[in-house]
Amino acid sequence: MQEDFHYYATYCAAFLAGYDHYESLDICYSAQFVDMCSRTYLSGIKARTDAATTQLQLEMMDARTDIMGLQDITRIWASFHFLPKDLYATHKFRTRRYMNKYRLICGPNSDLLVKTVELARAGTLQAVGIAMHVLADTWAHANFAGTPSLVINNTTPDFYEIYTDEEGKEVEKKIHFRHNPSAADDLDGDNFTNSLYQGNEDSVMNLGHGRAGHLPDYSFIKYRYYPAWGDYHELIKDNPSDYMHAFAQMVYAMRYLRGEEESFEKDTYAWDVIEPYRERIDSILRKRQLNACADWKALGEELSGREIPDFDVNEYQVEYELVNKEQKREAFLGKFIKAALAQKGMVSSEIYKSGNLLGGFVKELLIKGRLS
Amino acid sequence: MTKFQKIKNITRGVLSIILGAAMIKFPNKAYVFLVMLIGVGLLVYGISTLIYYFTMAMFMVEGKTMLYKGVIITDFAILTLSLADVPRGYVMFYLVALHAFTGLVEILRAFEAKRYGGRSWRLKLGHGLVDVGICIFCLMHLKNPNTVVIIYSLGLVYSGIMHLISALKSNTFVFVR
Repeated sequence: MQEDFHYYATYCAAFLAGYDHYESLDICYSAQFVDMCSRTYLSGIKARTDAATTQLQLEMMDARTDIMGLQDITRIWASFHFLPKDLYATHKFRTRRYMNKYRLICGPNSDLLVKTVELARAGTLQAVGIAMHVLADTWAHANFAGTPSLVINNTTPDFYEIYTDEEGKEVEKKIHFRHNPSAADDLDGDNFTNSLYQGNEDSVMNLGHGRAGHLPDYSFIKYRYYPAWGDYHELIKDNPSDYMHAFAQMVYAMRYLRGEEESFEKDTYAWDVIEPYRERIDSILRKRQLNACADWKALGEELSGREIPDFDVNEYQVEYELVNKEQKREAFLGKFIKAALAQKGMVSSEIYKSGNLLGGFVKELLIKGRLS
Repeated sequence: MTKFQKIKNITRGVLSIILGAAMIKFPNKAYVFLVMLIGVGLLVYGISTLIYYFTMAMFMVEGKTMLYKGVIITDFAILTLSLADVPRGYVMFYLVALHAFTGLVEILRAFEAKRYGGRSWRLKLGHGLVDVGICIFCLMHLKNPNTVVIIYSLGLVYSGIMHLISALKSNTFVFVR
């Protein structure tokens, strides 16, 4: 997902859930900041670098792919961008090494999502924003894992876009990929960029949805393809429907976080709340464009009647740098860092508890002796 | 290119240069060591690819390519290791053929890189063409083993330098999240 959904759509969802304009801005800023908070950024403001929620391309270039390096990558990407759907998934006749990667495949409505939202309930608006980023990505990044893996994240080259023609019939056309990193996706020419095939299981090029290019990030596209883990069963990814579910689930989750719902249940959506806007939202989601920021921004400003400022990554940097050490925790970025560490700790701990070491060891659990 | 890949390329480059120099200095002995080194390297790579296939890739769509790759590389390794007792002329012919194959692969990769808009295709193409050129030159002097050894060794040094260059230059990293 991109800024259009993580920032502007999250603002809309927060406002519909009952937060006021300023609270909604804090939430959507935090949601978008998850894609910006790298080690490079954190070391620049002299903050804890283990709170990083993303890795820059340059950082990835230097990333180690030994077990420690893989654990570091997995902690970041599985915690914030590819929340595992089922850490205890079973599959006959598979090796443990394979299953450790298979169990990290991302998907919506998981036990970990419930834990993520419940964790945010006790937290700040920054924690709410982080949880909304994670929730939204479970829909967009479904079927890929937040750990480098050829056997999970690879695909065949056979991608087909499914669309409705002028007669209203569903037809499909082949999607062409190229590997030129400097070229933007050409929606009219049906040329998309994806990452190169890398035969090395643990290559960072095999992290996430690189082989499917930006397709998971576009709300308008419906397509079918063959995932590496899928036993040759084709998979249809209906982004307009998935993004609508993500939006409705964000509203429901934030109503729970505000105390307006008693519990957060899986597979539950605030359809009644978004009903008056559903047609409008659907038209934004289905509009064939690289970036839907302008449309979501217009909807958000209509909802609240207030202007939504553009996202500025440095907005809270000066505040954080100026306050003294004791007050940093109370600064906007201090609260974000605290929430990010809590989320990363929770997910890493759950992965470790499942007997999977790809997320690394969790110190607290080792100290408490909760694991043999 | 990650740090690990850079280290791998630098090691390969330095090793090629040392071996090339050793072959020029000791043309009658160093080639046996080279053959053994290539053979063991291929064997380790081939067997680890086969293990990867049976533990991971066999569950993957289109994973059979890993099986073919493992079998072919292991086969090459066994053939290479069996060359220790063969007269030097034949061994040199095999090494030259292997070098030409590497050059051809480099040329194919250069065309692939050009097709996908990559920036490194000229360097790859030049590397591949020089490798193939050296092998043709070796074949022309096959009747004179000492000349073949020297030409081949120079090719090895050149290949090593190219690996060092590709490890030290900045690369475009294709990563989509």
